[in-house]
Amino acid sequence: MRRVTIKGLLAHKLRFGLTALAVMLGVAFMSGTLVLTDTISRTFDNLFADVNRGTDAYVRSAQSLSSGFGGPVRRQRARVPASLVPEIEAVPGAAAAEGNLQFYAQLVDKKGKTVGNPQRGAPTFGFTWGTVKALNPYRLEPGGHAPVGSDQVVIDAGSAKSAGFKVGDQVTILTQGPPAKYQIVGIAKFGDADSAAGASAALFDTPTAQAITGATNQFDSISVVAQPGVSQGTLKNRIAAQLDNKAYQVLTGAQITKENQSDIKNALQFFNVALLVFALIALFVGTFIIFNTFSIVVAQRLRELALLRALGASGRQVLGSVLTEAVLVGLLASVVGLGAGIALSSVLKALLDAFGLDIPAGGTVVGARTVIVALVVGTGVTIISAIVPARKASRVPPIAAMRDVATEGRPHSGRRVLIGFSIVALGVLSLFAGLFGGAGIQLVGLGALIVFIGVFVLGPVVARPLSDVIGWPAARLRGITGALARDNAMRNPKRTSATAAALMIGVALVGFITIFAASAKESINAQVDESFKADFVITTGSGFGAAFGGFSPQLASDIAKLPQVGGSSPLRFNQAEFGGSSEFFAGVDPRSATKVFNMKVEDGNVGDLAQPNSVGISRSVANDKHLRIGSRVPAQFPNGATPLTVRTIYGNGNKQGFADYTLSIATVSAHYTSQLDQYVFVKLASGVSPLEGRQAIDPVLKAYPNAKLQDSTEFKDAQAAQINQLLGLIYVMLLLAVIIALIGIANTLALSIYERTRELGLLRAVGMSRRQLRSSIRWESVIISLLGTFLGLVIGLFFGWAVVEALKDQGFTKFAAPGGQLILVVIVGGFAGVLAAIFPARRAAKLDVLRAVTIE
Amino acid sequence: MTSAVVSQPAATTVAVRAEEVTKIYGVGEAAVRALNNITVEFAAGHYTAIMGPSGSGKSTLLHCLAGLDRVTAGRILLGDIEITACSEKELTVVRRDKIGFVFQSYNLIPTLTAIENITLPLALAGKKPDKQWLDRVIRTVGLADRLKHRPSELSGGQQQRVAVARALASRPEVIFADEPTGNLDSKASAEILEFMRQAVTDLGQTIVMVTHDSIAAGYSDRVVFLADGRIVDELENPTSETVIDRVKDIGE
Repeated sequence: MRRVTIKGLLAHKLRFGLTALAVMLGVAFMSGTLVLTDTISRTFDNLFADVNRGTDAYVRSAQSLSSGFGGPVRRQRARVPASLVPEIEAVPGAAAAEGNLQFYAQLVDKKGKTVGNPQRGAPTFGFTWGTVKALNPYRLEPGGHAPVGSDQVVIDAGSAKSAGFKVGDQVTILTQGPPAKYQIVGIAKFGDADSAAGASAALFDTPTAQAITGATNQFDSISVVAQPGVSQGTLKNRIAAQLDNKAYQVLTGAQITKENQSDIKNALQFFNVALLVFALIALFVGTFIIFNTFSIVVAQRLRELALLRALGASGRQVLGSVLTEAVLVGLLASVVGLGAGIALSSVLKALLDAFGLDIPAGGTVVGARTVIVALVVGTGVTIISAIVPARKASRVPPIAAMRDVATEGRPHSGRRVLIGFSIVALGVLSLFAGLFGGAGIQLVGLGALIVFIGVFVLGPVVARPLSDVIGWPAARLRGITGALARDNAMRNPKRTSATAAALMIGVALVGFITIFAASAKESINAQVDESFKADFVITTGSGFGAAFGGFSPQLASDIAKLPQVGGSSPLRFNQAEFGGSSEFFAGVDPRSATKVFNMKVEDGNVGDLAQPNSVGISRSVANDKHLRIGSRVPAQFPNGATPLTVRTIYGNGNKQGFADYTLSIATVSAHYTSQLDQYVFVKLASGVSPLEGRQAIDPVLKAYPNAKLQDSTEFKDAQAAQINQLLGLIYVMLLLAVIIALIGIANTLALSIYERTRELGLLRAVGMSRRQLRSSIRWESVIISLLGTFLGLVIGLFFGWAVVEALKDQGFTKFAAPGGQLILVVIVGGFAGVLAAIFPARRAAKLDVLRAVTIE
Repeated sequence: MTSAVVSQPAATTVAVRAEEVTKIYGVGEAAVRALNNITVEFAAGHYTAIMGPSGSGKSTLLHCLAGLDRVTAGRILLGDIEITACSEKELTVVRRDKIGFVFQSYNLIPTLTAIENITLPLALAGKKPDKQWLDRVIRTVGLADRLKHRPSELSGGQQQRVAVARALASRPEVIFADEPTGNLDSKASAEILEFMRQAVTDLGQTIVMVTHDSIAAGYSDRVVFLADGRIVDELENPTSETVIDRVKDIGE
């Protein structure tokens, strides 16, 4: 039996070749993703190990607040007093201790442009220059010295190379203080590398760093070196014994390293999962291809299998034979896919770079996990997809060898309709539970999967009438070739729908993401229109909410001084705990906020926020929590808890694009270490035209190269551009799934042509030209593709609607189904059909007519 | 026996002619001479049968005459057209416009109805059928009440009748039939052969038929006998008995 299987496989290499290709692509994507994420992980692991190499103990404030917004989670922490340093050094076992500051500092190159882009890639840091050599990972290159004094700086070798700086040059550095010039007195390497995984570094002496950050007599943390012979654990315990444990935390060097490493892993988790999801989508699409191929192959070999049964093979042996084929094909495809994936990981990295996600990845890490996952998943997927056809094969009655037995099940059975609808209903239920019932995102994904399977089951029922309709123009316009194409698409609805299903999934996802992005853009535009009264916005231009970076408050005050400016307010977004739950707030200038923000004040006065410990809340928060003017709101900030008093209630909260909580900038400055403004909103004085406004503001901005001036349209466009960029990346990722689907269509066509050899030969014999034959097959492919496209769009619309509905409270106030783009999807779907038909059509046209008509 | 040129006594036009045609399969030691320097003519408006044992080359000869296969040497002429000099594209047009086919089995496109199958070559050519001629053909083969049926809804004999009607519908110069009764029972066979006879006698068509069945051969005007790639005998106005006798003679 085994010999029969193997010989059969070898005899039909091409037949399984395309199937193997589909599996291989999915496995390649998956292993490429795993290799990339492992590599990135290793890079960061090494990075933090290097940073903390000399640190034996680490002291920091116990007061912190975790904040995150989908992206990197950053604990914002209070600072520690500088007086701790001598205390710690006095602890027996401590050889030296030094305080550290880490803050935003961005270099400006000689052309006036900023070096690096913290919102798109590696962060731009400012540090204190560590005088304790063991604690300082930066090594000076010869010809430079450590910074001393408030106008000296050492920069990293990477930035020096990319911006062309040498020792002795002057450089402007942007920080949260006003932009200032410094002299480069040294260039340093990070260990052996030019920089710490691409992050730029500006190193100052301690007093200068403290002046820049406003951390007078404070540090972010204190690192300690142990005396030889003293273990990290011992040192940590001794230090902890000396300090107030409620105020300060002590960790060993190993612990802080581990914490850094896992923090970054958490931050990248979202990104890892996203990539894997795309890989899984590709594999899911692949399962349809495999299912289809094995179904067709079994149907074609029915006589042969029946013969085996007639000769004494049991049903189980036949099942085993088909499954063995699946295992062999799957295994081979997985191995090749693994190899391709390793090569693919660098392509993936380049792709992410191109779309603005510049994550460092040095070397290539192929873990055991990657190999095992690739082989198991690839082979497993092939086997699972082949099970149903294999079972069919095992049930072939031996008598089928003697005569033709009609084994095609009825596509229209009531049972199929019932089961199909039940599955779809189940999927929709799961989807809604995840979206509206708060049951989690996994249920959403699972629901989507089940819906796809349900539609696949229902497919044969709708395939025939739909093919009839879709193919009607072909039959009308293309005469006999079109009519034959339509008839062929209609005559085997099971096969047609299985083929179309793969494309359906790709199109559904493309449609969904298009609708989602369009709705997001519309919603954002609506929010911007609703909340902002300003004429101009000054932003850093990119980054969702600027999780890292911004500009010095000096900018806002420079702008406010201009006579052309009627009113301006900076804006800082951040997170704090209000009444126990973590919420966003907006930090604004209370005096001018209402000039530039449309807050729809209902009660109280925004100006009152200037009073200490005040907060403004939105109407929805006031209603939810039963708060009024004068109510107390307990608030938790990184440096401690502070009760706040409600001074004003306004209508535009999170949903309208503003914020549910508002604080004065002064309050924010008191509680957060980062003093950067993320936006400045400007209203021009009456009588000043926008052109005059620009002419006045542009010169001021020259000193702040990372700031851009935008009017409301440019601002909306900039937001849309970011979404478009992400959208582009997602389209490319989905492209793989679509390509696999097209391979599936080509595969099915090729197999069914082989099946129809005699019929095609007959057509050629009675005078169908090669061109007509190719055209007919092309039309058949187009009809199948359009069938899949149509079903996919329907599903995509449904998903899009459901998700936008679910996110109504998160600000998705508008549902947008961009007709133009969706029509484009349909056209591309049809064109895809043409593409998929190229290879099968040529093969069909090359048929030797004589051989074809005399074939038995 | 020599393969001399045998011409018709009466001065009729030649529908299709083979001149010194040789067909060799394979190379070197494994080479097989399927047709060995054959020259033969088939008269227009006549029903000619080609007979011979297995391996005699009769099917090969038919395929070459119809332009379905290429000869190794010699010429084939269909009326004025030199088939052997045609390109693939030209052959396609010839097959569509000038030749009709009836095969032993699997003649019809399963997704098309009977009438659609009959008008298939015309549809491929983009031509509209001659209504009068079409009605006549359909009446001749007796299919008027089955036109909307699919092949799966027709008996074997009816399917072959549809095939014959299709072969006639485009008014070809020659109809080539390869064992048209091979899969049919005696009643259905008799019907088909009768229709083909009528097509020649009443409608003036030319039919060249390969068969191993002496009864089928009895319907023709002339039988050409092949053996080992050569023409070995001929018989005018055959009956099934005279055919059997002649076959016996050849065998000796």
